[in-house]
Amino acid sequence: MYDEQSPKRLGVVVGGSLSKGLTVKLEASESVEDLAVGRYVVVHGAAGKRFFCMLSDIALDNTNPAVQNNPPDMSDAFLRAVYMGTIAYATITITPMLLIDENGQVMPVKTIPPHFTDAYSATEQDVNDVFGREDDKHFHVGAPLELQETKINLNLKKLAERSIGVFGKSGTGKSFLTRVLLCGLVARGTAVTLIFDMHNDYGWEVTSENGYNVKGLRQLFPEKVTIITLDAESSKRRGAKYDFEVRLGYDEIQPEDVALLRVTMNLSDAMIDACYTLNKLWGSAWVRRLINASVDDVQYVVDNSNIAGGTLNALQRRLQRFERWDFLSEESIGESVQKIVDYLVNQRKSVVLEFGRYGNELEAYMLVANYLTRRIHQKYVELMEKSLGDDGQKPPNLVITIEEAHKFLEPQVANQTTFGIIAREMRKYNVTLLVVDQRPSAIDEEVMSQIGTRVTALLDNERDINAVLNGVSGAASLRQVLARLETKQQAIIMGHAVPMPVVMRPRNYDEAFYNALTSPSSSDTRAFSGGKKARF
Amino acid sequence: MNANTEALVGRVLRASTRGFDCGAHSRSIGDHHNFGAFVKAPITNDSNTYAVGLIYKVEIKDDQLISELVMGELVPDNILRDQRDNRMIPVEIKVLNVGYYDRYGFVPSLPPRPPMSLADVWECTPAEVDSFTHSLDFMRLVLGAAEVPSDDLIAAALWYTASLHEDRVAFMTRAGRRLARELSHDLKRLAHVLSLIRP
Ligand SMILES: Nc1ncnc2c1ncn2[C@@H]1O[C@H](COP(=O)(O)OP(=O)(O)OP(=O)(O)O)[C@@H](O)[C@H]1O
Ligand SMILES: [Mg+2]
Repeated sequence: MYDEQSPKRLGVVVGGSLSKGLTVKLEASESVEDLAVGRYVVVHGAAGKRFFCMLSDIALDNTNPAVQNNPPDMSDAFLRAVYMGTIAYATITITPMLLIDENGQVMPVKTIPPHFTDAYSATEQDVNDVFGREDDKHFHVGAPLELQETKINLNLKKLAERSIGVFGKSGTGKSFLTRVLLCGLVARGTAVTLIFDMHNDYGWEVTSENGYNVKGLRQLFPEKVTIITLDAESSKRRGAKYDFEVRLGYDEIQPEDVALLRVTMNLSDAMIDACYTLNKLWGSAWVRRLINASVDDVQYVVDNSNIAGGTLNALQRRLQRFERWDFLSEESIGESVQKIVDYLVNQRKSVVLEFGRYGNELEAYMLVANYLTRRIHQKYVELMEKSLGDDGQKPPNLVITIEEAHKFLEPQVANQTTFGIIAREMRKYNVTLLVVDQRPSAIDEEVMSQIGTRVTALLDNERDINAVLNGVSGAASLRQVLARLETKQQAIIMGHAVPMPVVMRPRNYDEAFYNALTSPSSSDTRAFSGGKKARF
Repeated sequence: MNANTEALVGRVLRASTRGFDCGAHSRSIGDHHNFGAFVKAPITNDSNTYAVGLIYKVEIKDDQLISELVMGELVPDNILRDQRDNRMIPVEIKVLNVGYYDRYGFVPSLPPRPPMSLADVWECTPAEVDSFTHSLDFMRLVLGAAEVPSDDLIAAALWYTASLHEDRVAFMTRAGRRLARELSHDLKRLAHVLSLIRP
């Protein structure tokens, strides 16, 4: 009906405020049923200024409340046409997010348009002015809901320089979204990533719920991604081309590694203390020795330390579960960490660690992830310090991807785990996290506040919604949107990597996407008008 | 007869800026004297500025003879017919001003001066009605006029105007929406007027 360049008028601003949003009286010809919260509305102010807003509420109103007592006969087409938009009308509340000036420059919004300014549906041009164009630093991750032809492009550098959170209920598309984000980082070489791949979702082929297979990162970027595995059998069965099997030595497990499992393995404070004591007593062999300890050994320890016998026995039973894990070997082979660091730093390759059958054992997942991360983080700290601020010497930006992240970042453990440290120290050592989680409310609040870019699919638990929106400006309007996302493949992106929170439909992860990745420049041929663009 | 004489409504008897009355021969009464018709009368001598109004009342006057004939018991038919057809009974037509036009176009507001006595009053041409009713602003003066049966008057004027439009329903819907805005404080009256103009 109208072309993209002549925007569709939705109505006129009749009131409101910067903090609570603007009220727009809807044109009679606009059907409320066609609107949706989260959609973009642009108010055309004076002198070519555009206020870029998000629709946050829809209401029905009337000029005379008496009409409610005696509603006109709406089955009569004439009466309907007369009453709608005159006596009875709809209003929408829109939250101003950004101001686009006459040169297309984007800036924070500090005022509102005057009364009776026209409001329009956002056009492609408006959206492009805000989200910029796709280039080697900006990666196309999806499209706004109403404007499937336009692109939302993330600033990859900003994405990687602070931690990232991907949230959503089970089955909402977190893993697919994470793959899209990681593809961007890997394809453009912005960062290398180490993925603790709990459900074998990232490295090799995955079957989607609809039954078709989608490619893993290694298949898309054979030169830039390598797979290592904890469970060679599982990797072989799935045909995943892995490089080596990860082996951890019992003698390398430190009390901190066990302390992290406090909640998961139901360890008491006394048991944690015992770990440290045993470590002092027996040195690096403490885990193995405790697992194998005879009654006499236990008695010896009880006699020679302040550990209670009951505590020690309980700890022993818990640690004996480690014996089911074939990836733990008697003695340190010592190479796994070094090899991973070599891939990441020297070869600038991303690493996917497949957990195979151990993915279902949370203790194993956490132990391994924490064990490796702590050591890799140490290397990074050393390398960063050695580089003395020389950019050329710095190791590449590393994004560590973990699932079930709240287990690592719960308030009870967040200040002990390397993950908590990484989240808090921000990008000081060029390491950031990509946390994937269904229960953001369980993540430590301080850690949450350090997550720079949040991508969230549908959440329906009030506490989770609060946790994700905590500290986000315009949260009230986003709350409405967040609780009403579709159950799949719809998400809000907010924070560091986008100029404003945006509701989007993530790109389909399919052949077209793979092709676009391999020829990034050809994916954007659209001409952009409007002169110099504000690059966010 | 030429087109002009056909559209002559009468001559001004008395006038104010609010409206004017004009007189005509009973013999010349026709469609152009209908309730709700758009008429115009010059308010200056150079005929450049016209008051534009709506006929809201048509009165057939009586006189001594008529009163006697009405009372009379055995009046022969031929006398009654002669009286009706040949005698000139004065007819008074009352007009409510809804605007005026001058060289610059139509203004939906009261004219600056009333028309002069004995000025010719003409029916407006369809083209003129079309241009006056373009904005529908004239309705405000009608709705606010307490001295006239304004609801019926506006309905009659709108029906006439709608007949000039190809898409009557669209025109009536536009008029209805305008009425809804003007009468949003009085929903009963609105419902009544809408029932009169429902296409
Ligand atoms: N971007 C996308 N492209 C194609 N399909 C998608 C996309 N996002 C979601 N889907 C569909 O939704 C299904 C669920 O997505 P996904 O496995 O990523 O959910 P999840 O949130 O990771 O679930 P869980 O919490 O169980 O791990 C996929 O199998 C796929 O069919
Ligand atoms: Mg998943």
